[in-house]
Amino acid sequence: MSRIAKIALGVLVLLLIAFPLLVNPYTVQVGITTITYSMLGLAFAFSMRVGLPRLDIGAWWGVGGYTTALLMKTGMSFWLTALIGGIIAVILGFLLFSIALPRGMMAFFIFCMVLSMAFYQMFGSVPLFGGWGGILDVPAPTIGSFTFINKPELYYMGLFFLALTLVVYYLLYNSKIGRAWAAISSSLKLARSVGIGVVRYRMANVLIGNFFIALAGSFFVAYYRAAIPTIFSFQAGAIVMVYLIIGGFMHFLTGPILGALIATFIPEFVSRFKGYIEYQSIAIAVIVILILMFLPLGILGWVDQRVKPWLYRRKWYWRISRWGVKEEREIPA
Amino acid sequence: MALLELKSISKNFGKLQAVSNLDLGVTKGEIHSLIGPNGAGKTTVFNVITGFYPATDGKVIFNGEDITKLQPHQIAQRGIARSFQQSFFFMWSTVLENVLIGFHMNCRAGALKEFLHTDCARKTDREARKQALEIIELMGLSRQKYELPGNLPHGHQRALGVSIALACNPTLLLLDEPVTGMNPTETKEMVERIRKIRDKGITIILVEHTMKVVMDISDRITVLNYGHKIVEGLPDEIKQNKEVIEAYLGREEEEDAA
Repeated sequence: MSRIAKIALGVLVLLLIAFPLLVNPYTVQVGITTITYSMLGLAFAFSMRVGLPRLDIGAWWGVGGYTTALLMKTGMSFWLTALIGGIIAVILGFLLFSIALPRGMMAFFIFCMVLSMAFYQMFGSVPLFGGWGGILDVPAPTIGSFTFINKPELYYMGLFFLALTLVVYYLLYNSKIGRAWAAISSSLKLARSVGIGVVRYRMANVLIGNFFIALAGSFFVAYYRAAIPTIFSFQAGAIVMVYLIIGGFMHFLTGPILGALIATFIPEFVSRFKGYIEYQSIAIAVIVILILMFLPLGILGWVDQRVKPWLYRRKWYWRISRWGVKEEREIPA
Repeated sequence: MALLELKSISKNFGKLQAVSNLDLGVTKGEIHSLIGPNGAGKTTVFNVITGFYPATDGKVIFNGEDITKLQPHQIAQRGIARSFQQSFFFMWSTVLENVLIGFHMNCRAGALKEFLHTDCARKTDREARKQALEIIELMGLSRQKYELPGNLPHGHQRALGVSIALACNPTLLLLDEPVTGMNPTETKEMVERIRKIRDKGITIILVEHTMKVVMDISDRITVLNYGHKIVEGLPDEIKQNKEVIEAYLGREEEEDAA
């Protein structure tokens, strides 16, 4: 990576870390929701890597959230509840997906939709989950004697979970498993004919995704201090696919984060001017329509296709990017 | 000993009988061609052997093992690889990466070992790369190894399809119309390559329409018509067989009449 790119990246990371200190507390809250939604968006992109658009994210988000809510009320440590929530999501996912996965992408798609709605109903109707009012007054997470109560503290906790998700996804994408996944999404028949057990690899993928979706659920409940069914609705889980469209649908790690940023902050901004909450949905719809019309490959796709080649043709770009890079030629004595 | 045996294989799609009662034996080390007019069921036979279609009836026995009910990836792991009539490739990866995928996937039961990037995995990475480059060299794609398959001309895409199949280190290679759409020079080169593949010890079943190639390269030929085997034997015998000639010419007469 060129020196200038390293500096830019460093500045970005610094901004991310300094964010709570630079803005008012309400905006930090928006930042926390953005982090949660980007984790969900990353999970959607994760399943797209094996050619499966999953609409069940709301369900597993709820599994993690309610596990944390219920278990923390009995006094368990937040971190343990998060782990347990993830494990439950994986086991339950395995049992349920064993029915749908062998039947193909379409069956899986519809199954996920139904699953999400069924879980939503379950969270609302079954008394264990507190009914439609949900579970309130969930205690705040702690490490030792430190309690995560203030928004900036929760923001950093969120960054931790986001970073964890990104690292694991990145390692997996670049492993042999990741290459098998890429093969599956690229050409199903060919992947089968070179010995890739498609169902097996897909199952591994969605189960890993389940774990991290549940983790996002646990984190969100820790921040919100309550678990209410309407948070984990089908629509809330399904909307995250929009992030991939906005950010760039071939960019599985950066796309959803960029998309989440845009789809969360712009509607917020709009609602401040217009003052109607309904305008938020309209804002997202307008953004998506504009992207599909003008930048069909998403913002990062557009950058790859148009901006980068344009940039590479500018002399000043090369001068800047070479700045500070030592010449690697040895001058013989 | 027969490497591959088809015993009374039948495949129908509802009322359409694509293959009826086919008996086929392929011996190790031979090039066995499957020919017949369009619609005779040749690609269906390939799909049944490789598990993409479940056989309606009959058995497929490979190396003494009954593989009839196995899934495509399991059959691939046992050493049967194929190329497709319509060249399939992984369009977002380079030619080299396309071939590498075959290496990494075949016969690897333990996915966890691979994820952990162990030292053993890294060494086999180097081995795989070396062998992949050898295959690319053999199939004449050396100059295109960093190209995207979508940018390649048709003939090279076909060669890529064969390369991907070879990367699985197969004992048996099924080639579905490898020279279709190639000019005479490309065809001659491909025939030479097929011979070299056979010389490496890989048994080959070939489906082709170009009679010259079939007669030139085959050790034995099986002729299908409407899903039935009409005759099997040496190229010279087949050339002169009355039924075969009728099957091909008979079709032409029907087309003339229509």
